[in-house]
Amino acid sequence: MFQPFHYLAPHSLAEACTFLREHAGQAVPMAGGTDLLVRMHDRQLKPVYVVDIKKIPGLNGISPRDDSGLTIGACTPLNAIARHQLIREHYTLLAQAAHSVGSYQIRNRATIGGNLCNASPAADTAAPLLALNAIALIAGPDSRREVLLQDFFNGPGQPVLAPGELLTAVKLPPLPPGSASAYCKLMRTKAVDLSQVGVAVVFAGQGLRIALGAVAPTPIRATEAETLAAGRPLAEIDIQAVARAAANSASPIGDIRASREYRLEMIEVLTTRALTELFTQLSLNPAARREE
Amino acid sequence: MPEKIRFSVNGEQVELAVEHHHRLIDVLRDDLFLTGAKEGCGGGECGACTVLMDNEPVNACLVLAVEAEGREITTIEGLAKEGRLDPLQETFIKHAALQCGFCTPGMIMSAKALLLRNPHPTETEVKEAISGNLCRCTGYKSIVEAVLDAAQKES
Repeated sequence: MFQPFHYLAPHSLAEACTFLREHAGQAVPMAGGTDLLVRMHDRQLKPVYVVDIKKIPGLNGISPRDDSGLTIGACTPLNAIARHQLIREHYTLLAQAAHSVGSYQIRNRATIGGNLCNASPAADTAAPLLALNAIALIAGPDSRREVLLQDFFNGPGQPVLAPGELLTAVKLPPLPPGSASAYCKLMRTKAVDLSQVGVAVVFAGQGLRIALGAVAPTPIRATEAETLAAGRPLAEIDIQAVARAAANSASPIGDIRASREYRLEMIEVLTTRALTELFTQLSLNPAARREE
Repeated sequence: MPEKIRFSVNGEQVELAVEHHHRLIDVLRDDLFLTGAKEGCGGGECGACTVLMDNEPVNACLVLAVEAEGREITTIEGLAKEGRLDPLQETFIKHAALQCGFCTPGMIMSAKALLLRNPHPTETEVKEAISGNLCRCTGYKSIVEAVLDAAQKES
């Protein structure tokens, strides 16, 4: 049981955003509630109003766009993302990341919007979305804007949202045929844990895009590693060197899940794993390549 | 101020007034006296409060009671039909897939949801489906066997 609060479930975006702006500091938006309600249970948060945004039309669902990309509504549960055929085929790493969150019960409720708006550096869907060059669609009481997901996080727990603004959807740009992607996550247990290190890799026709989770104040792109891989055919990329370079972009802390040193070591291991999986998907055998 | 909601519990329509800050687990246990679902951690980690919402498992400690409006909730009490146990309940008994029993209702509801969406799961799929349900007597091996056995029986 929580401390008493008022529950509202507005049916329009304008209504929700206006209420949240007018009651900034007292009202919190709720999607799946799997993070919010835990914090309220632990008395870390004591909102006066809980604004359930799941009844707002258009926020839940996955829809193909004309440019053959996808739009994912902010209130779409992670299980729906993990099992969606188009996501599994074309945005494999996002399906893998969504599937890696919590338990089946949690993924039935937890949403992609909640995963992003909590702005945890370890949010599993964040690194994949960074590597996909995804765009966040944001609505306010009287405005709409789009932000590259890369610019969505100001710091731990701090999305770029102003009071009264809500993330409404995430736009995935199309990937050309022959693309591939992978997400590798390290946990203390085999399942149902937050990530110690998460590595997302995308090959989209040219160059590699690499993003890291849980190793900096926000999810980040590993730009040094990307530069190292740029401008060469994939088959000529030195996986080990790229993996080593990925660690240079990170600035991890040590916490209950892993020490700083362990995280730095593991970025290299996980990047190697993710790239190996990527090469396997593209039928490039890394082992055979090395013998050449 | 309580709000009146209508939903179905184990096939029966109920209408009752719930407080906004009460959770589904509170209403099930304290208002409807369905004490099968247990509150373990209260934070979505242990799965002891697992119930089905429209046939999909959720942690009843992380669902507000008002969110049940218009939904179909199934608890462990709703599995036996006309005095006949569900095949899962039968196989949990047969394989002695419980010791203290605290995790059992949640464990069976997760397994039930798995068999509803995938009647013939592999051992790995069973393990994954119950990964959000903790058993601290660690009877996992017999639990997995019981679920696989129930899947066999239903085929």
